[in-house]
Parts: sequence; structure tokens; C-alpha cells
Amino acid sequence: MRLVYLVFMVFFIIGFSGCSSKSIEKPQEVLLSEKVDNSVSASDDEFEEFEEEMKAEEIYDPFSGYNRAMTSFNDGVYEHVFKPIAKGYKFVLHKEIRLSIRNFFHNLDFPMRLVNNLLQGKFHNSYEETQRFILNSTVGLLGLFDPAKSEFEIQSHEEDFGQTLGFYGVGAGPHIVLPLFGPSNFRDTISMYPDSLLSPIDSGISSERKEYVVALSDFEYFSIKSLEKINSTSLSMDDYEKLKEDAVDLYPYLRDVYEQYRNKQIEE
Amino acid sequence: MKQIFKKILLIGVMLIFTPNLAADEQTDLKEHFLKNIDKVILIVEDKILSKDKRNKDIISVLTPMFDFELMAKLSLGKAWKKLPKTDQKRFIDLYVKRMEKSYSSKVDSYNNEKVEVNKIEQPKKNRIALVTDLISKDDSFEIVYKYYKPRKPKSEKDSWLVYDVEIKGVSILKADKAQFKEFLQTKNITELMDVLVEKQ
Repeated sequence: MRLVYLVFMVFFIIGFSGCSSKSIEKPQEVLLSEKVDNSVSASDDEFEEFEEEMKAEEIYDPFSGYNRAMTSFNDGVYEHVFKPIAKGYKFVLHKEIRLSIRNFFHNLDFPMRLVNNLLQGKFHNSYEETQRFILNSTVGLLGLFDPAKSEFEIQSHEEDFGQTLGFYGVGAGPHIVLPLFGPSNFRDTISMYPDSLLSPIDSGISSERKEYVVALSDFEYFSIKSLEKINSTSLSMDDYEKLKEDAVDLYPYLRDVYEQYRNKQIEE
Repeated sequence: MKQIFKKILLIGVMLIFTPNLAADEQTDLKEHFLKNIDKVILIVEDKILSKDKRNKDIISVLTPMFDFELMAKLSLGKAWKKLPKTDQKRFIDLYVKRMEKSYSSKVDSYNNEKVEVNKIEQPKKNRIALVTDLISKDDSFEIVYKYYKPRKPKSEKDSWLVYDVEIKGVSILKADKAQFKEFLQTKNITELMDVLVEKQ
């Protein structure tokens, strides 16, 4: 009997709370719009509300003059050097091959992702990264293929030292546009050094760490780096072109896109 | 003692069931969104359509979904209010055209991607964010559609309207706001509109 009473109560409450919240909501809305109608138009009032929400943090940019010049320089290099080379490269190599080359370089950066996942206490992600590395290096033929993702649905977890610093609350610092690399900031620029120590390619060039990987001559290093750059450009060209299409003023647009993107990466 | 127990139970039950009311609104919006995406995909996959006709059809599906006018206003921020009425109107027209063009060019590179709604967030009563994944063969990335519910329903528009889209965490509205603001620091609104005309 008590159970019946309880069930009845529950249904009564659901029905009641539904009604009550609706009957309260309606008049409030009516009241609001009436009030708004008397003063300013409804859209103006909503505009104020959004202004508050859309308030973006000012990006600290003391080097804006240099940054703007460097953005034009980079864009020029892209238009006159990278783009023509990448176009030819794209024409010669099938997309599947270019994706494999990208996978290969991505797989080599496993130590960087592992260490930075660990530094942020993301143990599950570190475990998945390790699984990916083992699978892709063996079944995936030295990382040329990504069976971990295509067959086992293990996603990669991109982490670099800049994100690790951001995770612990280090701010971005001034925005800096790097030659050839493009938009960055103080935090992410200094983070390139610790990450490079974990990269088999980048650490191959520094003489003290030859035990980590086969040592590279300057020429070999330059060739590998160029291949990586051209290959990734050939795959991401369209993205950059589209960004450029949407830009009225390229430098502040790229700056904002970069900082927003990094903040999102740090949040994740 | 029993009285207190009953009261606690009552409150508990209420807390459990009230979110459901909001959930209805969310699923409705999600279904409506997915239906529209399906419509767009159907149009894109129709190879017989000419490019112009195709873009027109897509825009006619999207227009009731988006509040481009509000986006235009917000992209200018404080500068908006200082504009004379004629400039306001012209700017909105240009901005809407720009959005339409930008969307059409993104659809051009469509290649069998799938859209999945991952998460629905409702930070406020009149705000819903659909967190979606655009999944292609070798990549997938997050796109968030941010909706608001206008106090007064707008004619020929849905009851919930998109006012911002975040692609990989980058809000297109905020990015526009940043570049317009910087542009207007050294140049004026007429020059900005000239650039928008040029880009068409």
C-alpha cells in the first residue's frame, strides 16, 4: 500500500513540477519582453548579454610590429616556396603515401607525447599512447600505418611541453610569430627545446645525445626536416588557404585562431 | 521524523526529474540539427545540381538555423553601436554574404564526412551547445554549434538559432571580432566594408 502511495506521489510530483515550472516561466518571459519593448528593442538587450559572453581576453602582444612583419614574411615564403613545392609533391605522391609519411613522423614523436601526458598525470592517455606506439611500430610497419586507430580505435593524445606548462597554469606570455614555424607565444616557444630533446630527429642533431638515435649530419637533418615540412604542408594546404580566405587582416586573425586553439588543447 | 523523511524524498524526486524537462528541449534541437545536416548532405551529394543552385539550396537550409545578423553585430562589438543606420545595414548584408560564401567553400571540400552529436550542453536556460564530431576517413575534429533562444521568435527563423561555431576550439565569432577590432584601430568601417566587398 505504501508503495502505491509512493508511486502516486512520484507521478504527482513529476506532473506538478512540470506544470509549475512552465506556468512560472511563461509570465516571466512575457514580463521581460514587455519591459524591453518599452525601453530598447529586444535585440539590443540581447546584444548586451552577448557582449558580456563574447568578451575575449586581450592577447598580450607587445611585439605586434615585428609579428605583423613576420606574418607577411611567412606568408610570402608559403606562397612562393612551400606552396609550389608542396603542390608538385602532392601531384607526384598519392595521398595515401603522404598520409603514411605523416604517420611515420607522428609515431616518432611518441616519447614527447608520452612524457607530457605523464607530466600532466594523464595516465590512461599515456597507456593508450604506449599501446599505439607498440602496435603502429610493429603491425603498422614502423609507424607508416595507423592500425591502432583504424582497427582498435585507440585515439592519439596530442600533448607537448607548452600544453604541460599551460596545464600547470603558466600563461601564454607575449605572442610571437616565429620564422617559418608561424604563430606561437613565449611559453610555447621555450617549450620547443624540452620537446626537441625527446624527438629522435631533433636530438640527433645535438652532439651530446648521439646515443639516443643515429647521429645526423646537418645535411641529413635538414633534408628530413624539409621532407616533414613539405609533407605536412601538402596535407594541410587547404586549411591554410581557407583561413586566409576568411581573414580580413591576416595577422590578428591567425594570432587569435592560434591562441584560442592552444587554450582549447590545454583545457583537454 | 517520518515527515522529514518524506520531505527529503520529495525534494530528491523533484531534483531527479526536473532536468528531464530541459532534456526534451535538447533532444528536439539535436534532432532538428541532424535533420538539417542530412538535408545539406543530400544536396551536396546530388551531382546533377549546378554549383550555383547547390549553394543556393544549402543556404536556404542554413538561413533559418543561423542568426547571421546577430553574428554581424557581435563581430563588431562596441563599434557596432556607433555606426549610422545605413552602415549597419550594409555591414550586416556584407557579413551575411561572407558567412554564406565561407560555408559554401567549406562544403566544397566535403568528402563523405559524417556528423555525430557527442554531447549537449546547456550552460543557461536560453543557451544550448551541440558538441559534434566531423568524422572523415583519416581524421575527425570537434565542431561546437552554439545556439540561443531569442526572447521574441524571429520570423522565418527557428526558435533556437546558432550564434557561434567553434571549430577545434576556435570560435569564428571571436576570431572575427579580434581581426575587425585590430583593423578598425588604424582604419575605418568604410575601409573594412571595402575589404569585405573585395573578398566576395
